[in-house]
Amino acid sequence: MLKIINGGIETLVEDWPGRLGYLGKGMSASGAFDNVGLGLANVLVGNPSGEAGLEITGGFLEAEFDGDHVIAMGGSDMQPTINGQPVPLWESIKVGAGVVIKFLHIGPTGFRCYLAVAGGVDVPAYLGSKSTCIFGSYGGFQGRALVEGDEVLFGEPSADLAALAGRKLKEGAVPQLTNELVLRAIPGPNTCPDYVTEEGMDLLFERVSKIQHTSNRSAYRLEELPDSFFARADGGVGGSHPSNIIDHAYAIRGALNICGNTPILLIADGPTLGGYMCALNVINADLWKVGQGAPGRDFMRFELSNQDEAIAARKEQKELLSEASLA
Amino acid sequence: MSQGKYQVILDTMPETESRLEILFRQAGDGFMQVEYGREQRALLQDSFRMLAVNDIILAKEIPGLIETVPGIRTNMLHYDPLVISEAELIAAVKEAEDSMPTIDDVVLASRLIHLPIAFEDSETKKAVARYVAEVRPEAPNVIDGYNLEYMAMCNGVSVRECKDMILGTDWFNSGGGFWPGGAFLWPTDPRCAIVVPKYNPPRTWTPEGAVGIGGPCVFTYTTPTGGGYQLFGRTIPVFQFSCTHPLFKDGPFLYRNADRVRFHEVSEKEVVEIYDHVHDKTDYEYQIEQGEIKAKEYIQWYESEEVQTGMQELKAKQAEGTKKAPRL
Repeated sequence: MLKIINGGIETLVEDWPGRLGYLGKGMSASGAFDNVGLGLANVLVGNPSGEAGLEITGGFLEAEFDGDHVIAMGGSDMQPTINGQPVPLWESIKVGAGVVIKFLHIGPTGFRCYLAVAGGVDVPAYLGSKSTCIFGSYGGFQGRALVEGDEVLFGEPSADLAALAGRKLKEGAVPQLTNELVLRAIPGPNTCPDYVTEEGMDLLFERVSKIQHTSNRSAYRLEELPDSFFARADGGVGGSHPSNIIDHAYAIRGALNICGNTPILLIADGPTLGGYMCALNVINADLWKVGQGAPGRDFMRFELSNQDEAIAARKEQKELLSEASLA
Repeated sequence: MSQGKYQVILDTMPETESRLEILFRQAGDGFMQVEYGREQRALLQDSFRMLAVNDIILAKEIPGLIETVPGIRTNMLHYDPLVISEAELIAAVKEAEDSMPTIDDVVLASRLIHLPIAFEDSETKKAVARYVAEVRPEAPNVIDGYNLEYMAMCNGVSVRECKDMILGTDWFNSGGGFWPGGAFLWPTDPRCAIVVPKYNPPRTWTPEGAVGIGGPCVFTYTTPTGGGYQLFGRTIPVFQFSCTHPLFKDGPFLYRNADRVRFHEVSEKEVVEIYDHVHDKTDYEYQIEQGEIKAKEYIQWYESEEVQTGMQELKAKQAEGTKKAPRL
């Protein structure tokens, strides 16, 4: 068990791939925003890579263990300490009763740190997933962020704790975080010639945009696009703005929604359907990078990709998030 | 088809007598949008056909197909590309499309759900009052503490006529989304097709069960949330997170694609009592009839002189109403 002393800015229970199959019921998949950070931490402690862990956004989580556990951390380096002593990310560590773990603020790169515990976080799965949808207040730990006094339970580890502790990652397996996220993306479903001009699409793939401070687990907002982006004067029956369209499902997670002139990347808890066009999709294997983008600080750029590359990247990521990555 | 680098149309099926041209649009590595026709239009007959095909696709239980998410004129397919390829998925959709060659084949399973509604109830009124107090004090869509007068004004009819139109048509669910358990409900009878603008700016709170309309669609609020639809009353629970009532034992959702909702007017007291019987005593019996929609019959009825005349009469009233009603 882990008793929360300070929940920090926002600490959520998340798993991967999240709650699949309910888009038509208005429920997005949610899930770990950086599934690579969570996945590698899980692998280190002997869990399936998609097992539920804690997603610590922004930092300042402080909590006390009440028994023996093996833990690992991945993602953004929030300079975690155990009983005041610095501990590294990306390796499994044994902790005992009374151990206090504390996270500071985000470092120069990244925005979310993941804490995996051998056996995984034990919360009831809701509609097939332990992930929290913070926007809809369901799933995870009572549908909300952790607060002081909460007691988080864990499942059964896959092996003896002694065997799970002290594991490290192979060289090259640790993901590199940057302040300019390069996201491979596939155009569609609404592009040129009918919705967007070719120049507009060129611009979308050329420019570097700051992640707006209004971004959250539902939507990452980017800088506005010029009117010349659009290949039409209005949205017809869909609405007066050229970004309007008759309501359609969004290819979430990863769709770039054009909402008025503002491009919004729909992720984790975002809306599943609506009346705005979507010009591209970030490939599934690059979604994790978005979760490490700090609103108001980091930048985003799209790189033209295609199905073959995206599928190869999925396979690579699957391999990465396995015991093959252990040293 | 252009071969440009932003080419997103993967394949097409030509228009036939009974269906529009079909475009298969790329939407990332895990989604594909099937679009019906190139024109932005919202017609129920398009939705009937698409949902009937959607049922065929789902019945195939295609490995790797995670889910389908129909809109009124598009269907989004969510799949695992490590299990099924884009080309295999397109082939499966084409096969389903080809198995429904004529309009006679378009028969859609559609339940009829009877929902009691209390117009201008006090709980929903609180949401309107809060909007005036906290968001827009001089909101022109709030008259006598409610939105019904404004709805009637926009459509050039009286409040009673407006209520009768809501009660006088079935409301067809073209597919859910946007908010957990929500459904977009369209009037099947075009003579009752009231249209209203949405709140500007939106509300911060709406009670569970509130019923509103925005554009042409009715929405029954599943859980307390913000919202932008004009409010006119309250119905019973259509969603239950806890899944304790027997109707919700397999999931928190009442609505399925292609359901029809028919409202009947009751007192506010009756609606409030039903909440207790759904959420606490869990013994309320929902009135749900199995049924179907035959697209050909619907189109014949829709195109009949009686329906067309009534529709034109309403449109004329709406044109007058739109001139008088203040913009939001």
